[in-house]
Amino acid sequence: MAHVSIPMYWRTIPQRYKLVGQKCKKCGHINFPPKGVCKYCNVSSEFEEIQLSGSGKVHTFVLISAGGAPPEFADQEKAGGQYPVAIVELDEGPKVIGQMADVDPKEVKIGMPVKTELRRIYTEEDVIRYGFKFVPVTEGK
Amino acid sequence: MTIGISGYGVYIPKLRIKKEEYAKAWGSFSAAGVNEKSVMGFDEDVLTSAVKVSRRALESVPLTPDRISRFALASTSAPYVEKLLSGTILVSVGMSNTAFSSDHTTSTRAGTEAIIAGFEHVLANPGGKALVAAADAPKASMWDSIEHQLGAGAAAFVLSSDNLIAELEGHASYASEYFGERFKPRDDSLIHDINVKKFSEGSLITNTTRAGNALMKKLNRKPEEYQHVVIQQPDARVPATVGARMNFTDIQLAAGLVSKVLGDLGAASVPVALTAVLDAAKVGDRIMVISYGSGAGSDALSFKVVGERKAIPRFQAEADKKEYIDYVKYLKIKGAIL
Repeated sequence: MAHVSIPMYWRTIPQRYKLVGQKCKKCGHINFPPKGVCKYCNVSSEFEEIQLSGSGKVHTFVLISAGGAPPEFADQEKAGGQYPVAIVELDEGPKVIGQMADVDPKEVKIGMPVKTELRRIYTEEDVIRYGFKFVPVTEGK
Repeated sequence: MTIGISGYGVYIPKLRIKKEEYAKAWGSFSAAGVNEKSVMGFDEDVLTSAVKVSRRALESVPLTPDRISRFALASTSAPYVEKLLSGTILVSVGMSNTAFSSDHTTSTRAGTEAIIAGFEHVLANPGGKALVAAADAPKASMWDSIEHQLGAGAAAFVLSSDNLIAELEGHASYASEYFGERFKPRDDSLIHDINVKKFSEGSLITNTTRAGNALMKKLNRKPEEYQHVVIQQPDARVPATVGARMNFTDIQLAAGLVSKVLGDLGAASVPVALTAVLDAAKVGDRIMVISYGSGAGSDALSFKVVGERKAIPRFQAEADKKEYIDYVKYLKIKGAIL
C-alpha cells in the first residue's frame, strides 16, 4: 500500500466513503473497486455507476499481529493489538479487501455476515484518510 | 406551521473505562456521579460517529438522504480546526451537495445551537428537511482533573414539518461573558480549565436557569408540566443542582441522566440524553431541554411528544453494548503518552 498521494486518494472518495461501484455495460458484471477496463469481460470500458449495499460475507481473512502491520497501521496495532483483514464477498458479487473493526479477532469466521462503515483508515501528510471497514452485522444495527 | 423532530439516531462507542481504573492510577476520580464512561476506538472520531448517527436518524423516519436540504454538525473535538467538516458527512451519507451545511464547534452548547439552526431552516423553508448531528469525544491533558469526566457519543435528529414524533413548542437562549472555565486557546488541542468548581458552577447555573426560565415564561409553563427534563451533563451531579434551582425533581431528570454511565459527552451531551428521553417518552409527554457551553451560553427547547415511533437501535441497547478497557489501554487509544 505505502504512499497514496492526496490527489490520488481524493479520486477514490466515492468508492471509499460510500461504495460506489460500476456495472459493465457489455457483460453486466459489477466491478469494485472501479476499473479502467472491466475485469470480467476484459473488453468494455463503458460503465454505469452503481451504489453497492456494503453488505456481504467474510470469504477469507488474516490476523495482523505485532510487526506484521504496514507502517501506516503500526500505531493502530500498537494501541489496539491484533486486527483482522478480510476479503469480503459483497452481496452484489465483487470480492473486496478491507480491515474489520468492532470484532474480537478470535470471533472472526469465514461466512460471517458483515457490513461497511466509515472509519479512519490512517493519517498521512496530516490528512486523515477515511474509508470503509467491515463490522459484524450483529453489532447494533 | 408546526415543526419538530421526525426521526433520531444514537451511537455510543463500545469501549468503556470504569472510575475504579482512575482511582487505581491517580488515587481519585473527579467526575461526580459518573461510574464509567464511553471511549472512542482508535479508528473512530467525531466525523465517523456523525456519519453513523446521521444514517440511523434517516432510517428511523425513514427518509432518503437526498431529501435533506440543511445539514448541521456540532462538536468540540472535530479532527480539524480549519476545513469544512460537514463535507465528509454529506458525501459519505449521500446527501445532496447543494444542501446548506454548517459546523458548530466552539462550545458544548454547539449541539442545541445546531438544532436551533436546523429548526430555523425548516421554519423558513416549508417542506425543507434538516439533519443535525452532534458527536463529541472531548480531550484534555491526563494531568488535568477535567479529563476524568470526558466520554464519547453521538446523536442525530431529522427536523421537519411532517411525520413528527415531537413538536417544538418553543426555544429561548441566554448568553453572557465568562472565562477561565473550559476553553481551548487557538494553539492548543486540549481543553484548559482553571479548576475552580464554584466559579464554573456559577456560570453554568446562571446561564442554564435563565435560558430555561425565559422559555417557561414565554410558554407560560410550570415545572411540573414537564415529564422529562434534560440538562447539560459535565458530570452526573450538575443536572440535579440546576434542576433544584428550577424546581425540577430527580424523577423528571432520571430518563435523560446518561452521564452516569457515559461521562461528559460535550456538545453531544444534551442530544444523546434527548434520544434516551425520546425512547422513554409517551405521547402527550412534555420535554424540556437545556444545554450549556462555557464562555458562556445556554439554549432551552421545549417539546411535546406526538408520535410513538422509536429509533433503532434504542439508546439502552447502545449503552449496554460494551467492552471494558484498563487505564493504560485508555491512554494508548487517546494518544496521551507522547
